[in-house]
Amino acid sequence: MKLALSRRTLLIGGGVAVVAGVAAVEGPRLFRKRYAPSPYDDLLDKLDDRDACAQIGERALAGKAHFDADKVADTLRDRLHHRRLNRVMVEDAEQKRVAENAGWVMPETLSLLCALAAKAG
Amino acid sequence: MSAFIDARAVPSGQAVETDLAIVGGGPVGISLALLLAGAHFRVMLLESGALEFDEKTQDLYKGTLAGDAYLPLEASRLRYLGGSSNHWGGWSRPLDEADFEKREWLPHSGWPFSRKTLMPYFARAQALCETGSYLYDGVKRQLTEPEIALGEGGIDTRWFQFSKTKNDVLPTHFGERYANDLKRIGNLRVYVNANVTRLRLARDGNRLKTIKVATLNGKRFTVKSKFVVLATGGIEVPRLMLASNDVKRCGVGNENDLVGRFFADHPCPRDVGTLVIFDGRMPGYYLGTVPVRGTVMRASFTPREDYRLKHPVMGSQTTVEYRDELDAIGKAAVAATASALGVASSHAAVFALGCGLEPAPDPDRRLTLDHARDALGMPRLKLSMRINDADFAHYRKSLAELGRQLLAARVGMLRLNLKERGQWLEGLDWGNHHMGSTRMHVDPKQGVVDATGKVHSVDNLYIAGSSVFPTYGASNPTINLIALTVRLAEHLKGLFK
Ligand SMILES: Cc1cc2nc3c(=O)[nH]c(=O)nc-3n(C[C@H](O)[C@H](O)[C@H](O)COP(=O)(O)OP(=O)(O)OC[C@H]3O[C@@H](n4cnc5c(N)ncnc54)[C@H](O)[C@@H]3O)c2cc1C
Repeated sequence: MKLALSRRTLLIGGGVAVVAGVAAVEGPRLFRKRYAPSPYDDLLDKLDDRDACAQIGERALAGKAHFDADKVADTLRDRLHHRRLNRVMVEDAEQKRVAENAGWVMPETLSLLCALAAKAG
Repeated sequence: MSAFIDARAVPSGQAVETDLAIVGGGPVGISLALLLAGAHFRVMLLESGALEFDEKTQDLYKGTLAGDAYLPLEASRLRYLGGSSNHWGGWSRPLDEADFEKREWLPHSGWPFSRKTLMPYFARAQALCETGSYLYDGVKRQLTEPEIALGEGGIDTRWFQFSKTKNDVLPTHFGERYANDLKRIGNLRVYVNANVTRLRLARDGNRLKTIKVATLNGKRFTVKSKFVVLATGGIEVPRLMLASNDVKRCGVGNENDLVGRFFADHPCPRDVGTLVIFDGRMPGYYLGTVPVRGTVMRASFTPREDYRLKHPVMGSQTTVEYRDELDAIGKAAVAATASALGVASSHAAVFALGCGLEPAPDPDRRLTLDHARDALGMPRLKLSMRINDADFAHYRKSLAELGRQLLAARVGMLRLNLKERGQWLEGLDWGNHHMGSTRMHVDPKQGVVDATGKVHSVDNLYIAGSSVFPTYGASNPTINLIALTVRLAEHLKGLFK
């Protein structure tokens, strides 16, 4: 009896932990700001702070004479397919794929996502 | 104890004799005199100033500047016993192995010997500079608070030690600290207010016959010495050699037009970067000094040697200077990056970065004689300063690498604040480290002194100090030039055996 009770407690505790974990990661999305639809929403959805990214993206675009958003989006789709954004960010840095935006050294993938966010408005 | 001799009281026209004359009583001259204590030959130390700052003596250091902005020549050094140690910062770090190596991509690089040759002399140099026991990067094993984690790459945390006198006063002022020790040395005579104004070569030009001394009250006398060591600092050594042009028009040791060339200092641009640490935890030893086992230490970000050789970049030291704030775009960059990396940034802390960087050797960064003369009739100097864009570009590459490594470790991120030449030059400070102007090389066509510090073309003349550094590294020079001095002292003792 004692054992069953403690197992039950454990299970409940575990369940709470899982829920809490999800809330911590997914939480911000529940209250996410709505944006006008864009062809890159599948990608931009990965960004927790799209407004901040768009701000950076504007700077990135200002320094680019030519920016083929669709092509960039395709590259990013390949890169991010079934992969967690944070993993790709670290991989970018490890593989020396970094870009400078307003002087800030950033993972290239994020920099491109930022540019798309700026394009999408 | 024998008191210092005031040269102003020496009768004009007198000729004084000694076995070894050291010209200049800065850290080098004082250290050399201390190291030769008890030797069975006579040593004389000739110092331009006395125990205190004196405006008229300091005026002898004035010169003119051309080219890129630099510090007034009389402001970046001090002319009295202890020399520039009377206002140095005490930052100390031995040069890296890579600093000694010849690099194919870097013209004029490389020392005539490796770092290993100099290593045995650091223990004594540490003692003279009062920098504590030799810890430096070895301190990593003793840290209770870990260094900032960096992803794999070219930049690492490296450690400085600081000169510190007994009662925790930072740093050692060599004149004040060692004056009484000098007075106790039986085989040493110290002349103060004694300005060496000329090195007189014998007629064949291969030996120094006498050196001329002048005082500001009008006395002039000569010193005849078997050997002479110039220890007047990286600006005044070439001045003396170039101005001593009565026997050889080119001056002393200048047959290959090298004296005064390759002058260097460490440019220290301000606010080079903005560093953000996502969790806000910045160990105190990056921001300031901390005591470790009785030694004062501080951490900096430095390119690793393998990275420097492979990429290639010059040496540099990046220091965390003070807490800073982010502008709107900075806040956006941090929010976007931290969340994409999956780390919190609500406690992020922001810091301004400073640096000291190593310039590439440049023969046209140069000291030459000017037309103007000082109160003793010596020609003043003109410094043609040059900072090349490549020097800044090398450093920027290293800073970007640090930024990349912070991201890879998900620890923080970095902004490169300077890009255009004008930005680098604005508010540019200097290390006040005068190097390279009488460089060391085994080939007389490429260097003024040989690997021992002897002037190639003059049998009894040596140079001690950072003017002999052929490549400079990014470490502060003094501990290194004192290690070189310890080595020279051994060599000089050998000459009298
Ligand atoms: C503001 C400042 C901060 C510094 N901070 C650091 C630091 O943190 N770490 C570091 O490693 N280094 C530092 N340095 C550099 C350091 O001070 C020098 O490396 C060191 O002093 C060099 O020693 P020296 O004996 O070769 O030359 P000097 O210190 O220049 O001494 C030369 C001596 O020669 C004398 N002299 C000059 N001309 C004549 C003449 N014609 N006849 C006779 N005597 C003469 C002078 O009076 C002086 O006493 C700093 C320098 C400055 C100015």
